[in-house]
Amino acid sequence: MREKRRYLLFEAICDAEVGKHELQNAIWDSIYSLYGDTGASESRLWLVNYDSGIGIGVLRCAHRTVEEVRAALACIHSVDGVRTAIRVIRVSGTLKGVGARTRMKAGALKR
Amino acid sequence: MPSFFLLNVHLQPGMPADEMLRAARRFGYTAICVYNSNNNNEVIMPSLNLNPYIYMGIEIRTDSITELKRKLRHYWSRIPLIAVHGGEEKINMAAVKDYRVDVLTHPCGEKWKGKELKHQILMLKYAAKNGIAIEFNLNPIIKSRRSERVRILKRLHENLKLIRKYHVMPLLTTNNRSIYDLRAPREMIALASLCGMEREEAIMALSEIPAGILTRRWKKGREVEQL
Repeated sequence: MREKRRYLLFEAICDAEVGKHELQNAIWDSIYSLYGDTGASESRLWLVNYDSGIGIGVLRCAHRTVEEVRAALACIHSVDGVRTAIRVIRVSGTLKGVGARTRMKAGALKR
Repeated sequence: MPSFFLLNVHLQPGMPADEMLRAARRFGYTAICVYNSNNNNEVIMPSLNLNPYIYMGIEIRTDSITELKRKLRHYWSRIPLIAVHGGEEKINMAAVKDYRVDVLTHPCGEKWKGKELKHQILMLKYAAKNGIAIEFNLNPIIKSRRSERVRILKRLHENLKLIRKYHVMPLLTTNNRSIYDLRAPREMIALASLCGMEREEAIMALSEIPAGILTRRWKKGREVEQL
């Protein structure tokens, strides 16, 4: 049976540009460190998209673990030595709902 | 949606308060309270441009009770929020006995390594009586890893039980020194849930309690002063 998912549109505020791969590792590290192997596997986390230029990306997770993923994202303070803060902008059940494409096409959010 | 307040903001030299406010508002906060003191405990007044969303506060750091009393007398009618940097038992006790104090920061030391709150029950009783909020600094949870974080979370769990038992007001902060230390209110609520805090409690600790402190709801004898 297909499980319900949630898509989290997030913004990474970084000191310098951070690549998608590095950010993905940092998110995984954070969730492993906080919830262990079983917790991380239950979250079914996946970095769908990340635009390092504007620092906006979309994460996918299981719908029951949104709060855990939020906590894990809040625990990220540096990525590869670059100071980083991540804030979740929007949570939705569909990719269309988070409006990632339109936001990314429009460039950076209002800063 | 309640209005969230960000307390315990320490500005780096040269960083304007407006810039921090702009970042905090982007994260979902309504107002910030800037604590300004250098290592010699001298208050640095930033150019706040009379912004109604930036409150001025001071965090008094001292090892002597006499010095603490002197500073409280000096700053009480000038600054809307007075916090005392705790850690040592005698300073914690002196701070919570004084009704002029608004917040006791780091009651168990900076990384929750000092004396535990379960050995400071009397201090909690005085804090509840005088309406002094106890700060729950979540920054050590963010910055630490593995066994260190386990120890901090265990302590926060224990302290939270005592805070509930003695009806002390908790205050959630992340000890912001730059925009990279900022965490959005919903992320703070998620972090607080790690140490056993209920969602409603966390919302109160981020909205009603700081708003009450800043508008002097509990201190009726004192005029509201907003810079």
